[in-house]
Formats: sequence, structure tokens, C-alpha cells
Amino acid sequence: MSSPVTEKSEQLRPKTAEELLGSAAGAASHNGHRIAYTISDALAMAGRNLLRLLRSPDQVVFSLLSPIMFTLLFRYVFGGAIGGLQGVDYVTYLVPGIAVQTAIFSAGTTGFGLCDDLQKGFIDRLRSLPMARSAVLAGRAMADSLNNLVQVVILILVGVAVGFRPQSFAGLVLGVVLLLGFALSISFIFAIVGMSVSSVEAVNAATFPVVFPLTFASSAFVPTSTMPGWLKAFADHQPVSVVVNAVRSLVLGDITPQMREGLLGGQGTVSLVLQSLAWTAGFTLVFGWIAVRKYRRLAS
Amino acid sequence: MSAPAVVAEDLVKTYKGGVRALGGVSLAVEAGTVLGLLGPNGAGKTTAVRVLTTLLRPDSGRAEVAGVDVVAHPDAVRRLIGLAGQNAAVDENLTGRENLQLVGKLNHLTRPDAVDRAGVLLDRFGLTEAAGRRAKTYSGGMRRRLDLAAALVARAPVLFLDEPTTGLDPRSRVDLWAIIEELVEAGTTVLLTTQYLEEADRLADQICVIDHGKVIAEGTSAQLKSRMGATIIEIRLGGEQLAIRAETALEQIGEVPPVRDGETVRVTTQDGPAVLSQVVGSLNDVNVPIAGLVVREPSLDDVFLALTGHVAEDESTERRSA
Repeated sequence: MSSPVTEKSEQLRPKTAEELLGSAAGAASHNGHRIAYTISDALAMAGRNLLRLLRSPDQVVFSLLSPIMFTLLFRYVFGGAIGGLQGVDYVTYLVPGIAVQTAIFSAGTTGFGLCDDLQKGFIDRLRSLPMARSAVLAGRAMADSLNNLVQVVILILVGVAVGFRPQSFAGLVLGVVLLLGFALSISFIFAIVGMSVSSVEAVNAATFPVVFPLTFASSAFVPTSTMPGWLKAFADHQPVSVVVNAVRSLVLGDITPQMREGLLGGQGTVSLVLQSLAWTAGFTLVFGWIAVRKYRRLAS
Repeated sequence: MSAPAVVAEDLVKTYKGGVRALGGVSLAVEAGTVLGLLGPNGAGKTTAVRVLTTLLRPDSGRAEVAGVDVVAHPDAVRRLIGLAGQNAAVDENLTGRENLQLVGKLNHLTRPDAVDRAGVLLDRFGLTEAAGRRAKTYSGGMRRRLDLAAALVARAPVLFLDEPTTGLDPRSRVDLWAIIEELVEAGTTVLLTTQYLEEADRLADQICVIDHGKVIAEGTSAQLKSRMGATIIEIRLGGEQLAIRAETALEQIGEVPPVRDGETVRVTTQDGPAVLSQVVGSLNDVNVPIAGLVVREPSLDDVFLALTGHVAEDESTERRSA
């Protein structure tokens, strides 16, 4: 056994550059591990982000409060006065819309988290480590999507409690996957905002003016048929409506052509889902690319 | 042991706003030694560390850590360095143990190794009791120790400490100094930045004085002091009037004119013993009684004042931005 003294100094003994970088063969095997490291680093970051969310449950609760209030408000206050629903119960019409809105708001967490980590210098610590560079953004995406899933599921349960009746359970599950994917693509926009502004409050301030018009000037809460022509043209074609309609179509299952005409602009489920996927892919490519570039540019 | 562990050659960095943070900085740190980068806020110390730790790309110039180029091979450099200090934070919402384990995982230690290493470092830095508490509940000194522990998880041979004791109380500062000394004893190369002349004096083998993005002096603490003259004689008088009379009487003594500061007159000289007796004799001749007398080596404060024309703490500008 070594004496306590040498053991103590052993604890602080640094490794040599050769030990850490290894021989040429060692470097090659490190390259072989690269994909495994990319995944394990992202998982480590996701775990850390989830742990933070669990540590501040108030944040999760409060971000759920407003969609639940919206659900109750629209269900009981406005719901009775909203027409043009082709015989669909309003709460069943409403929940897909609020679910999409919730997911988009929740995607803002990505922006808050990145901004906070940047301001506090934690990103600098990470960037000085030999971890995969993609892990910071990928870990965010994983943790925030999981958080988003939980929020949407709770919201749907609240909806069920006040009368939401999906006609197709499989459709509902597909719809949730679809809207989470869309929210993920939106979260890249918030990531860009989070890396561009100087405070978490500023991320918050930037969220509302973008998200409110997009979710309200849409088919999320009411059919677009009574909107003025110019607004209806926008509302019918903007991505939030497309995704909401796709989810709604999945949830409603088999409906008559007349209902489809009145509620979904006559579009079929497959077409709506494909359009949603196209928007999701487009946003992911464009904003994902900008976000990754911006993250790399932090070094310049 | 021959090649320096850290080399920087003519590093230039200008930020977007046009602020030139580094105006051609060159330095070298021998393996197993401590280099103190000394300068006031806004001098460019942090920018230099950010370049050397791959966080920032220089506009021009070259830098190597353990022979690896920081711009060409940042990933390899990151496996060789530890960074602690004002820039590298711990996660306040994680516990001390979780912070160190996370850093271990991201350094690609196996899970048992990461757990093990975290335990050893927590124990070593007196944080075992607080290991299960969130870092936001830690005192300033505990947080810095955790921060330093995080930089040691991977047993990196080169450590960058950016103002490791800024804002700490004297007790915590001394604790941290002791830890840094142990690390160096164990063979670590350290580059530390500091605004505290005392800190550089105590820890650094070599000191680079940096101001406005340029190295304005370098050498050992003793070499820098000798640039000032070997000895400072401080004479305290019983009032300002007497001090003014003393200043006049001592004008011909020493190689440079004496400096008066209130009731104190300071004479700087290369030849302490001879000048001291002249000082005492001259003041005796003009009947100016001496209230107090100090003969000392120049402090780094004196050095800084002589080199830059302003005192070290004087320049309080934005630290990270700009």
C-alpha cells in the first residue's frame, strides 16, 4: 500500500499530454468512438437539462397554467358562442389548437435555457471540454422535447376532463408526435433568439409578439371562415394552421366531406400531414443551420 | 521539459465594436511552472485566456498548448487543459457532486471513474459535506473551489485560472492559493491571471505585466522589482510642513528625486545602506525629526505604477464585454 502522503499527491498528479492524447493508434480509436461520444455527450447534457427542470417545478407548473386556463376559458366562456363547427363539439375542436400553441410556447424554453447558460458562463465551461460540439444544442432539443411532451399530455388530459373526445387514439398519438416535431423545429428559432439577446427577460419579450399573432391568426381557436379575406388567406396557409389542421384531422378520424370542407379547407389527412412535415423539415433546415452556425460563431 | 507548455506569439484580437483587446501578445510558460498574467481590468488578460483555451479565435498570431496549435486542433487542446475562474461557471442548479460528475462524463470518463473522481476531488477540496447541496447555496469560496475541482476532473497537465480569487475574502483566498501551490508541486503547469500583485508575487515563477492588450514587462518578481531600484526608504514625518522640508533636504540624495505623499517621503535607490545613512544625516542637519522609517523592497504595486503610470486598481472598466 502506498503511504497517505504519496496517495494524496497522486490525487492531484496531472496526466501527460501523451497519456491524454495517446499514440496515433489511440487517436484513431478515439475517432472510432466519436459517434458514441456524440450520443453520450448529448444524453449527458439532456440529463443535466432535465435535472434542472425537475429542480424548478414551479417553472413547469406556471408554463402549464396558461394553456389550461385558455382551455377552460375557451371551453366555457367563448365556446358556446363559436359557430361553424359542423357539429363537432367545440372542446374537441379546440384541444388540438391549444396543444400546438402550448408546444410552441414550450419550445421557448430552449431559448431561455441557452441564454441563461451563456450569461452565466456555463457554455464557456462546456466549450473548454473535449465534448462533442453538437451536444449543447442536441441535449437541449432532447430535454425540451421531453418536457414539451409532458406538457402536451397533461393538457390533453385536462381537455379530456372537460369533454375532449378524440375519435381516433392512434390519430391522437400521431398528432402529438407531429406537433412535437414541429415545436422542435420552432425551438431552433428560440435558440437563435437566446444566443442573440442579452438577457432571459429579452427572450421572453421576444417570444410573445411572434407567437401570439401566429397562434391566434390561425385555425387554432376558431374556424377561419368568418375572418376577413386577407386575414383568412394568411390564417389558412401559415404553418401553425397547417399543423393544427393536420392534428385535428388525425384526431377527428373519419369525417364527412362536408365537415372536412368546413373545418379543414377540404384537405385530406395525408395532405395536411405531409404539409406539416414539409414545414417542420424546412424550419429545421433553415433555423437549425443558422442556430448551429451561430453557436459555432460564439468563438469569433 | 524543454519545450514550453504554453506558447503565444503575437496574438491580436479586435472585438466587433473595434476594441483592440490584444495588440500582439507573446508569452511562454515553462512546463511545471506558474506564469502570472498581471494587469488591471480591461487589460486583455481574459481575452488572452479565452484564446489560449480555444473559446475565442485570434485575428492573427499563433498559440500552442503542449505543442498543439489552439486554432488548428482545438479538440485536442481541450483534452489537455482545465479552465477555472470568472469565465467558467458551475451549474448553480446542480449539486456539487452532480457538477463534477457531469464534467467527468463530458470528459468521457467511464461512469465509475467519473463518480470516483468527483468523490476524490470533493473530499480534497473540503466539499464532501456540501456535495449534495445545490451550488447556488455555496459561499463564494466554496464555489471557486468547486470550479477549480471541475477544472481538475480530467487531470489536465495545463491549467488556466482566470482571476481565481477575485471577489474572495482573504481567508478563502489563502485557502485557494494553498491548493494552487499543491497542484504545481504535483507537476501542473499554470497560467493564472490576476489583478492582485500580492497573488502574482506569491504564486508566479514568471510574471507578465499586461496593459491595454500589450505585455509591458516580464520577468521574475525579483527582476521586476529590481527595475525599480533595489530599495525603497520611506520616511514618515510629524506633519506635512516637515515632510515638505524633508523633501527639499533630500533632493540631492539617491539616483531619482524623492517622492512626497502627505506626511511621507519616499526615496528609491540601488544602494540602500549608503543612502540610508545620508538620509538620516541630512534630516539631522536641517533639524527635521523622523517620526517613522521603513526600509523595504519595492512591491509590485510600485512596479506597476512605474511601468504604467497609473495604479493597478485604478482602471475599473467592463470586464468581459467590449
